This record gives sequence, C-alpha cells and structure tokens, in this order.
Amino acid sequence: MAGQTDPHISLFSPQEVEFMAEDELVEIVPNMNMEQLNFISGDFGRFIPQIPTKVPLWLAVALKRRGKCSFRPPGWMSVDNLTQILEAERESQSTFQALPFSYVEIARLLFDHAHDDIPDKYMVRSLVEDIRDVRLHKLETNLGSFQGTSAVKISNVSAMEVNIVRPFVRRALEAFYKHDKPEADIDRDTRSSRQQREANNEPRRPLRQR
Amino acid sequence: MSKYYDIDDILVKEEYVPVLFHKTANGVTIDPSAETNCAEQGSKVDIPFWLAHELQLRQAVSINLPACFDQKTRLEVQADAAYVDLRSRCPYFYEFGCKLEPLVTDRTLGILLSTAFKIRYKEALTKVYTAAHITASKYLSFLTKEETNCKPYRFCHGAELCLTI
Repeated sequence: MAGQTDPHISLFSPQEVEFMAEDELVEIVPNMNMEQLNFISGDFGRFIPQIPTKVPLWLAVALKRRGKCSFRPPGWMSVDNLTQILEAERESQSTFQALPFSYVEIARLLFDHAHDDIPDKYMVRSLVEDIRDVRLHKLETNLGSFQGTSAVKISNVSAMEVNIVRPFVRRALEAFYKHDKPEADIDRDTRSSRQQREANNEPRRPLRQR
Repeated sequence: MSKYYDIDDILVKEEYVPVLFHKTANGVTIDPSAETNCAEQGSKVDIPFWLAHELQLRQAVSINLPACFDQKTRLEVQADAAYVDLRSRCPYFYEFGCKLEPLVTDRTLGILLSTAFKIRYKEALTKVYTAAHITASKYLSFLTKEETNCKPYRFCHGAELCLTI
C-alpha cells in the first residue's frame, strides 16, 4: 500500500548478506601459474603453484570451481577452536565470543565448494551449526532486556545475526526513543513546580495506598 | 509534513476525540444530538482529531482525553500491561497519544505511553518475535498497529536462514 510504513526497510536478504561477505580475504594454494590480477578493489597475485596467497572469497570460489586452487581453511575453523568457542558460548548468557563478522557465510561457502579441503568436515559443520543456534537463541532472549534505552551495544555479533534482528530492534528502539522524550520533559516541568511528585502510572503493587 | 501521505498518520488523525465548544459553530452538522445545525457554546461533541486540532489552534474548542486513555485503561496498564487489549481500545494507541500529548492538560499521558510500551515490549513483543507461532498468536490480537509493525515476517526469514546451510 503506497504510503504505509514499509516493513522491509533496512532488511537485506540472506543472499545479499552472503554477497557482501564474499569480499573477505581467504588463503588459497593455487596449482597453476598466473599473472597478477588487477581489480578495482586491489591487486591479487602472482599465482605460483604451491605458494599460498590471500584473495577475496569470491575469487577463491571462482578459481576453485575451475579446479585451479585449493583452500586453506581459516584458523578459526579448526575443530579445537570451534569446540572451545561453543563451550564458551554455552557458558555465558549475555556475551558473545569473538568470531569473524561473516563466519556463517564463509563457513557456508567453504562447505559448498571446498568440502574436501576441510579436515573433519562433518565435525566442523555440526560445530558451526551448534554455535549458530546458541548465539541466535542468546541474541533473541537478550532482546527482552532492553530497559527502554534508545541505543544498545552488543559486541561480537555476526552479520547474519544482526540481519535477522535488525528490523525488529530498529523499530523497538525508535518507539522507545519516541515515548521516552515526553517523559523527560514532564520530569523537568513538575520537579520545578511541585515538591513532591507522585509517580503516576508507573507499575506498582496494586494494594499500595498513597 | 513528511507524514502527509503516510496512511498510518491519516488513520491516526481519524480517531474521535471529545471536545468542548467555546464558541458557537453555525451551519455544521457535527453534533448529532443537536436540534439545529449548530454546535452550541458549551456543548460536548465527538469530532475527528484532525478537526479538533485545527479548531483548538483557533481556540474554538478545548480537547478532552478520549475514552481509550481513561482511568480504566490506566488501571489495567498498571495491573498487567502485557495483556491489556489495546487494539480494541485504539489500534493506534501510541501514535494517538503522542499527538494528543501537547494538546491536553493531562501531563501523565506521556508516562502512560512509555511505561505501557516498555512493559509490553518486555513481556509480549519479545515473545511474539521469538516464540513459536502458536504462543505468539495469543498476544497478536492485543497488539496495536505500531507494535505489530515491529515484527515483520520474522518467521519466514528464520526459515530462510535454516535453508541456507
């Protein structure tokens, strides 16, 4: 409906978030010779067999699909590291562990295109999924703890998780901000004019007499 | 001015408010209980908010609080804000209250809105957002239009995410 508040503002589809994650640098081991590639975003190469180089993820996937390289899994994607992170996530109820901002997308692309380059791929895959579930659940339960502020800071949240809660949090915080402003004005007015200010309409026990 | 074409804003202004006329208005049939085509001085009439606002700027009326912000609602919000059916009182509860707030003499309207929203957010909105469809639907019928706008299509995105791995 034209003119109605658009429920899709500031929402990216998961595919768009994945597209933006493909700019992340990953390490590959080429198996061919190629000159340096000059792109707008930077220069990558030279590609020499068995010498690892860092390239953007989209380029790495393209080369892998043509059989011209193999992936080196990122350091955070080892079974030990992921197990440690999973335990730490389960332990703490309100803090998130430090993971790359696009870990979901990187992991997914690697599983799709380079599953033979990942040692213990099934274990790694299930660990990543568990970590995702725990973090998402933690994020959603923490949504109820906003005390009516207009800005919230949560560290170490990843791109996919942010994308899921973005519209909800944005509207809720906007509403908090809108409704809190008149309260601040009222407090100023009445404190100056009256000594004792009764707290009307604030939640209180029903039997309390004033 | 940026809200001139906003449908929600137009609908909010359609809500009726009770006003008290200070001057006589001739030739208008806004008072259904009057015998003549006039609104007499001192008569109490329900008119839409957009009209009431304009008339108040000309000091022809004074606006009273409509029924959805009366003492009964306030007591219910104090008791248990999360289960109060605000949608049946007024589907644009918060927006309407924000518009009325500078125009009426009651200074506690802003606090009513902000406490109601805070409690409802904590109890109901987060549950609607995160819980299964069945538990969520029992809250959905209580939420005002602004609150349901907070929760766009979360379910389909959650499902989409699950499908991506």
